Amino acid sequence: VTGDRKTRICEVSLPQNSSLCRFGDVEDGKVWKGGEWYCLSSRSGLPGWHFIPLQQPTTNTVEEPLDLIRLSLDERIYVKMRNDRELRGRLHAYDQHLNMILGDVEETVTTVEIDEETYEELYKSTKRNIPMLFVRGDGVVLVAPPLRVG
Amino acid sequence: MESEGAESSVPAPVEVFSSIRERTIAENSMVVLLQGLQGEVTTVDLRNESTARGRVISVDAFMNIRLADVLYRDRRDQLTRLQDLFVTGRNVRYVHIPDHVDIMKTIQNQLSKIHRVRNFASEGGGRKEFPKKTK
Repeated sequence: VTGDRKTRICEVSLPQNSSLCRFGDVEDGKVWKGGEWYCLSSRSGLPGWHFIPLQQPTTNTVEEPLDLIRLSLDERIYVKMRNDRELRGRLHAYDQHLNMILGDVEETVTTVEIDEETYEELYKSTKRNIPMLFVRGDGVVLVAPPLRVG
Repeated sequence: MESEGAESSVPAPVEVFSSIRERTIAENSMVVLLQGLQGEVTTVDLRNESTARGRVISVDAFMNIRLADVLYRDRRDQLTRLQDLFVTGRNVRYVHIPDHVDIMKTIQNQLSKIHRVRNFASEGGGRKEFPKKTK
């Protein structure tokens, strides 16, 4: 792949042919486009040259909010979910959708019952324990270190 | 684009070949773990407070799950037996992972399956239209 670093045009020169592809910013044989790194490969099972997504390299600096969750990997965390649910467990894995794998989780479901006569609000919570749980990300509201008691 | 094996009265785990788009979506998220659970008996908690316990037939990149021999418990704890259940990905809240599943190994196996399908045409040479270019 030839091209100036950080130029917008990536020029791909092939042995016999030469084609220009306007793809993205070029750096070290990788191309940055649409928030993702791609690399040029002919092994994608399709004829010709194609861009295939590169695995994200793990960095140690905190660059975006998801990196803060990365710092909590293998630690116990508190997850607040929709529908008045809370999870406390050990974070084993997560992805960009906030799908998570939690170990040794305790799920707390909080319900409010209203007394018909006195209109008093009675808060009830039910807990249950699950050894290993996959959580779909669209139910997650927030992720935090476990709340300190006292 | 799924290609399934022969249909039998009890659906057996099938080799699912999804589109390139689905494979790319799947390999960049945690759905690969669920895809590796094919054949396992798990409990899926749905968004409507009901649970479905059964054998996972297939999971696609959008987390749509197909289960067999399902015990479906609705929010009022009413049990129903179902031979085949399809859950839309949006309706999944939790998936219980069986204790004996090795998560890292399952994910790696699933990813290697995806990469193997991707490199299928180049195995043993493939279409050497252009020689491999070394920078």
